[in-house]
Amino acid sequence: MQIKPIRDKWQGNMTDRERFKRQMHYKSFDRCFNMEFGYWDENFEEWKMFKDNSIKDNAQADLFFNFDTIKTIGGRVWLNPTFEHKIIEEDERTRTIRNSDGLIAVEEKFSSSIPNYKSSSVVTPDDWKKVKEEKMRRDDPARVLDIETLKAQHPTDRDYPLCVDCGSMIGKIRDLLTFEGLAYACYDYPDMVEDMVETCCLLVEDFLDQVLPHFDFDLAGGWEDICFKNGPIVSVDFFKNVVTPRYKRIRKKLDEYGIDIWYTDCDGDVRPILPYFLEGGINCLFPFEVNGCAHPSEVLREYGKELRIMGGVDKMALSAGKEAIDTYLESLILLVKRGGYIPFCDHRCPPNVKEEDYLYYLDQKEKLFGLK
Amino acid sequence: MQILEDMSLALQQGRKPKVEELVGQALDLGLSPKQILEEGLLDGMGIIGEKFKCNEVFVPEVLVAARAMNAGAALLKPYLTEEDAVNKGTVVLGTVRGDLHDIGKNLVKMMMEGRGLTVIDLGVDIPAERFIEAAIEHDACVICCSALLTTTMDQMKNVVDLANSQGVRGKFKIMVGGAPVTETFCRDIGADRYEADAASAAEAALEFCQS
Repeated sequence: MQIKPIRDKWQGNMTDRERFKRQMHYKSFDRCFNMEFGYWDENFEEWKMFKDNSIKDNAQADLFFNFDTIKTIGGRVWLNPTFEHKIIEEDERTRTIRNSDGLIAVEEKFSSSIPNYKSSSVVTPDDWKKVKEEKMRRDDPARVLDIETLKAQHPTDRDYPLCVDCGSMIGKIRDLLTFEGLAYACYDYPDMVEDMVETCCLLVEDFLDQVLPHFDFDLAGGWEDICFKNGPIVSVDFFKNVVTPRYKRIRKKLDEYGIDIWYTDCDGDVRPILPYFLEGGINCLFPFEVNGCAHPSEVLREYGKELRIMGGVDKMALSAGKEAIDTYLESLILLVKRGGYIPFCDHRCPPNVKEEDYLYYLDQKEKLFGLK
Repeated sequence: MQILEDMSLALQQGRKPKVEELVGQALDLGLSPKQILEEGLLDGMGIIGEKFKCNEVFVPEVLVAARAMNAGAALLKPYLTEEDAVNKGTVVLGTVRGDLHDIGKNLVKMMMEGRGLTVIDLGVDIPAERFIEAAIEHDACVICCSALLTTTMDQMKNVVDLANSQGVRGKFKIMVGGAPVTETFCRDIGADRYEADAASAAEAALEFCQS
């Protein structure tokens, strides 16, 4: 489907790639990189502009708003085959499912928010042994990438930043065990959990070995989502001793190919484990939830230019209306000017943000951080 | 007493089998179940709660400590008489209508039980009417509402409004918490208390129940 943008692309005199690299390396840039993380599914059903223009997902929304382009190459670094997704039971408002990670979960039929995970298919070392042998094989031919096709998709003269996905060392394990299950497993079966982390790391390393020699990546990305409003869901010692050493191995590979920016997607209060992210080589936070953590200026002040942030626009301000949007965006002016910081909504934009306020936010963002 | 100090420490370390072993030994030594509960188990859980508040430990440590406490308490239960039972007040707890998330709610429950409060856990997706009915039925001092989502937190206002419209607002305090909830939001909807973490919520509920 051809997407007709509702807005002009922000004016500029650099390519998206140049702009991103310069902004994230504290060099002069024409204007701020313009991106957003996306929207809840409900926004596509409720916002008139999306409905009227048949915009149904985040990729289409990026084109619709004419954001700058950033693309990612990822590998198959998790369960293969996945567990069969099936509905176990349902009522008028909810359904109980087994998802592709083997978790039994209750989800709302009419909301896209996080399901309530009830139990896991993996509890004991025997369960893990079976899953590892059947679904986490390093020699699985499905993990081999078609490099030539990827090269055709991402030519060397591309004008957008290209990211290499470094997967997850612990977040996906949480997805396999449940939040409580991971907490208990770290105490009951620490060797099993460490073996799970090691397996994740090996699969990511295998993927990196396939792609790094063939692409001039501009950044690395990853996903963990292992923090809540009250801090991490694994103990700090576990993170430091088990997870960080694996990050260091990946960092070493990235360094060999000159990829110095590495972000990870982690909600909530990341501050207790932030020193170990940095020690492991992750030097950029995404999408940096303000209400669950802090204003971005607080951690950037503490960590200086060693740390970058992508995100950090408080979604609560977007839902509070124009005045709150103005106040919040003004608090980011110096951070954008300083470099190493790209502002956007600190998670998928929720449907309680009014459509007109969201457009106002985009307008104000362009006025403050674009060339308008 | 050394055995109770050891029990408290083992609980703080999440060592469930050790806590069970020490509870058995303490009973064999003739210590009263009430003393074991208060000076061993609840003491350990209280310390974990304080450390959680100060960011010295995080959610995983609280979960394994609570698991150890529950295991120890289950062993004590047959020996506790009605007089021994520690009930410092009753709290009705639940996640609001439209929200299925219970991790935060469950943490609050663990912390409250660790403070000797009786918790009536209504579960998730609870309509305002059910909070009020349960509070009256159980003569609760506190209603505690949890929400994870910006889209469901407004349901907390329905609980406050319903308590007002039914003329029962003075019978209990209403506490609110969860990822998107703030002090300002609490004030705006007319609730009595917001706390940022489970341990502080338990402390506040205890304070309400004892006032």
